[in-house]
Amino acid sequence: MTLVVSALGSALFASWLPLQVSIVTVFLFAGPHNWFEFRYFLMRLPARFGKSRNFFLTAFAGIGFLTLTYVLLPVAFRFGSWSEEAWSIVIAGWNTLLLGWIGLLVWLRARQKQRSDWSWFPAVLLAAGALNWFAPLFFSLAIVYLHPLVALWFLDRHLLRTRPQWVRAYRRFILVLPVLLGLMIWRLSQTAPLTDDNGLFWRITQHSGAELLPAVSSHMLVSVHLFLEMLHYGVWIIALPFISSAIAGRERETRHQQFWKPASVPLVKHPRGFPKLIATMLVFAALLVVVLWFGFSFDYATTRDIYFTVAIAHVLAEAPFLLKML
Amino acid sequence: MKAILICSLSLLFLTFTALANADIARPKQSPTANQSRVVLHTSLEIAPDSKIYEARLQIPQSQLQEFRAALDAAAGNTTIAASVTGNSTRTIIAGSLLFLSLSFAGVWLARSRHQAGAGRMRKAIAAAVIVMATIGAAAIITRGNAGPPGYYRWRTLPQALSDGHSTAGGVDIEIVADDPNSRAGLKLLIPLRKAKQGEE
Repeated sequence: MTLVVSALGSALFASWLPLQVSIVTVFLFAGPHNWFEFRYFLMRLPARFGKSRNFFLTAFAGIGFLTLTYVLLPVAFRFGSWSEEAWSIVIAGWNTLLLGWIGLLVWLRARQKQRSDWSWFPAVLLAAGALNWFAPLFFSLAIVYLHPLVALWFLDRHLLRTRPQWVRAYRRFILVLPVLLGLMIWRLSQTAPLTDDNGLFWRITQHSGAELLPAVSSHMLVSVHLFLEMLHYGVWIIALPFISSAIAGRERETRHQQFWKPASVPLVKHPRGFPKLIATMLVFAALLVVVLWFGFSFDYATTRDIYFTVAIAHVLAEAPFLLKML
Repeated sequence: MKAILICSLSLLFLTFTALANADIARPKQSPTANQSRVVLHTSLEIAPDSKIYEARLQIPQSQLQEFRAALDAAAGNTTIAASVTGNSTRTIIAGSLLFLSLSFAGVWLARSRHQAGAGRMRKAIAAAVIVMATIGAAAIITRGNAGPPGYYRWRTLPQALSDGHSTAGGVDIEIVADDPNSRAGLKLLIPLRKAKQGEE
């Protein structure tokens, strides 16, 4: 019930004042959600890779390479003279690298976990590749909209492992989301486009695909995307830490004490772990969150652009960690 | 299952065939054609009204929004259809990948039929993948308009106007260059064919 009310509230706010709520939401939660996600991934990282060595090396190499090339794309666009078609081929090429990397990860994972059947995956991957080459910009837009939903998948897998008795209620809640989204689309599809007469509002509508879908109300696009983002932030900042701390509290100390201690991370606890390195990384990540807040305060539009470019790293990082949970 | 597979492959084949345009000479482009461009296809109803004193053009709010969006797109942005089908390199790569995808799906389907415990679920998923890929490709690639040609709906317009009835049909909204010799603002061209040409 709490989940449904929260989702309903998010949908209402996202529909009512999409641009304003988007600005506030990104300002408040974008950085912290990355910190929580980073911490969660550290929790899932084994102290020794063992048989998963190739998998993790491929994962980290892919994250590094794809992030670097993604960050270089705007630079290349700015300093090169690209025709529209040439640029779409560049985008399609990057998306293909992404799909290839995911395919490689799935192959490595399937070799490790031979009980699971991944034989259907090449067909789906190639179909996705085909769609990407048909319409690269729409494929990229699809990633923007689908990425927030990955958090819900993480939560599902996490509940299955740690709180199986909650899974049924959670999946019922998931069934409510398409209804909410359908209502939003129905109510907002005929609304007038949002006023994007300043640089910041224009950026927000473009990020939601207003330029690619000129016949669709930008109000609807921004609201739907914002709603999905709010769900995404809610999962990483509230749901997953709450479950983790609840379990920690049940096992040993009080909830909050255990969750905030770096010692709860396996890489710290392990005799051959890296306690100082992990603690430093967590503190550094927290500092980056504070820097992001300062950046938003000084120049929101530029910081938003930089953030959403660099944030591709966390989008990519979700793939290997989700695969390890499947 | 076999029937679905055959239908899907046939549809895909027809789609590619429609695109080929083999042996059809490229139409000559006149200078006028370069100046005008169709930005939107919608529907139009012509109705006589004895109660009004001036011809009136009524545009629904939703149509106006679509028109505005189409004009914005025509002003510089690429339309969705153009962005999807406008590049041969991308189309070739996408087609090859789609072909490979269908091949893998077919092999997977065939193998799953022989595996123990391969249930209906698996076959249903396979069928869905194939049908989706086929319909998706057909929807993306096909630019033709099925059905009778547009002028067919306008063939009864003169008689309908005489009888005081309305006639509805498709209309292309075309932006044309300004003509300093013409005093008319908007111009509506109706595709009427003479009955003796055997076009009906």
